[in-house]
Amino acid sequence: MNGMIDGMNKFIAIVGSNSNKSTNRELLQYMKKHFQEQAEIELVEITGLSIFKKSIDKYVPQVARDIAERIENSDGVIIATPEYDHSIPAVLSSALAWLSYGIHPFVDKPVMITGASYGSLGSSRAQAQLRQILDSPELKARIMPSSEFLLGHSLEAFDENDNLKDEQIIQQLDGLFKDFLQFVDISKQLNNANTVNKQKAEEFSWDKD
Amino acid sequence: MKLIGIAGSIADQSYNRTLLQFIAKHFSGLVDVEVLDINDVPMFNQDDDQTDGAIIQNLCKKINSADGVIIATPEHNHSVPAALKNVIEWLSYEVHPLDGKPIMIVGASYHIQGSSRAQLHLRQILEAPGVNAIVLPGNEFLLGDVKTAFDDKGDLKDQRTVDFLQTTIQNFIKFAKVINMIGETNNYEEEDLSAQNGTDTTIKGIDMNADDWLDRAANKVSAAEGNDYVKLDSGLLTVNQLDYFLKTIPIELTYVDENNQFLYYNHSLPTEKMLAKRTPAQVGDALDKVHPNIGRVFKHVKQVISALRNGETDLVSMPIPGGDPQKHHVMHYYKAMHDDENNYKGVNEWAVDLKPIVDEYLKATGQKLVKDPNAKMDAMSGASKKTTEEKPEVEVDATSSASKH
Repeated sequence: MNGMIDGMNKFIAIVGSNSNKSTNRELLQYMKKHFQEQAEIELVEITGLSIFKKSIDKYVPQVARDIAERIENSDGVIIATPEYDHSIPAVLSSALAWLSYGIHPFVDKPVMITGASYGSLGSSRAQAQLRQILDSPELKARIMPSSEFLLGHSLEAFDENDNLKDEQIIQQLDGLFKDFLQFVDISKQLNNANTVNKQKAEEFSWDKD
Repeated sequence: MKLIGIAGSIADQSYNRTLLQFIAKHFSGLVDVEVLDINDVPMFNQDDDQTDGAIIQNLCKKINSADGVIIATPEHNHSVPAALKNVIEWLSYEVHPLDGKPIMIVGASYHIQGSSRAQLHLRQILEAPGVNAIVLPGNEFLLGDVKTAFDDKGDLKDQRTVDFLQTTIQNFIKFAKVINMIGETNNYEEEDLSAQNGTDTTIKGIDMNADDWLDRAANKVSAAEGNDYVKLDSGLLTVNQLDYFLKTIPIELTYVDENNQFLYYNHSLPTEKMLAKRTPAQVGDALDKVHPNIGRVFKHVKQVISALRNGETDLVSMPIPGGDPQKHHVMHYYKAMHDDENNYKGVNEWAVDLKPIVDEYLKATGQKLVKDPNAKMDAMSGASKKTTEEKPEVEVDATSSASKH
């Protein structure tokens, strides 16, 4: 928990897209800048990761191990997901599969889900699926409950300085981020079962009878 | 019925692949299932569109020519595996082969859930507008505890499970038939009679509608000719020998490729004596150049080719009216051609006068013809399934592909 030293939380922000022009990346870049007084946000790209594939020796690519370590050392994770076919992109799904294959950086980690889409729905269905995915036994993240940040019409959402234009949306994001900071703090108090949970995730295997 | 099976796992050992292979084997009397491999599909990335690559094109072709798809999904982290989602992303970006395609979802998992949550996610994914597949409702087939489900031959051990699987597959066959019937009505519009799309054998850079296309195109590809040998699948002939052979076949043959380009006819008679009139200058023409754009001609041509291309029928036949019915009964046949992998390769069209054959038969067997008062004439079998008692429309004649009147 490096962030604790100077009192400021340190978050890993996962860009859920491998597209060069991603409004989800833009959203996270905006959050990093906009909340720089409140938290240290570090963007993580998943573009270099191959498609998840099981192997006998449970091989996990070094890129995934590096990301896992950064997540382990953070106070929480922010994910920005686009929506492809009512769901999260395969590249994000694949990254989460690597990040729960014999390594378990997400267990009990506070997660804030955000998402941007070109249309008006703002990746609502992808976010709903992402919640269920993060809730699975080998990820077992602590997703901030009762919160949703859906950025619709994302191509028109930012001004020329890469700031969100709509004051109401900014207010909503400010409120959610404040909640997330509190959620992270509360979460730190709720670690009694953490050791057990980690162990359970490690022992859990879809392969077992 | 032809189905494509996709196992949603790229793991070396996949029970979902085993399940599909069992379905393909055990129900071979009900359906023809071809299990496809998705191991080499690259990661979807908008910035690196590989839709035109062989892997996606092959998947697309196979799905297009199938009557339906069975997807067997494992469950990873409460959802479908990334590898399966990845394939669907490619198939909903620049190409949309799953659009309107009947799909059945099955799934196997190590635990008791049998991929239940992955199947629900998959349903949502397949319903997305870019995918727009039509998923069989209900009929959930969840195979839990899969490690103990198969015997060492890859057969499901539990008879009740096999029986239930059979019921769901029979339901899917009925469902797919109905869905495909709905889809049939409009897809012929997509046929491009101007042959602009091209195919891997289309000779580029030469105007296909030019009168001297044959010479120029042959020159461009340095075509075999004269005494050059051509190796066929069951013979070796020179080009001249092939010509002697084809010209003496007593029916008129026409070759139209999958790009709707008229490539060949067996030129033995002068144009005016042919049952379906062709001229040497027409060779190479796109189909819209060899049919008159009047009435419903183009529509009928499109319907015939679409029905053959999409496998709705293998053969379309139609009589050509006119002339003296006492002397002639000319039939046109349009037969779909396929390569070894069952990809549509075009139309083999032949025209033949059946009257001499029937006369020969009657003479040899000492019989004569009597009118059947209840007979219904089938003006155009295959593409449109209706029968009519009326005389075929004049336009029907003109629908014969690659003929000019």
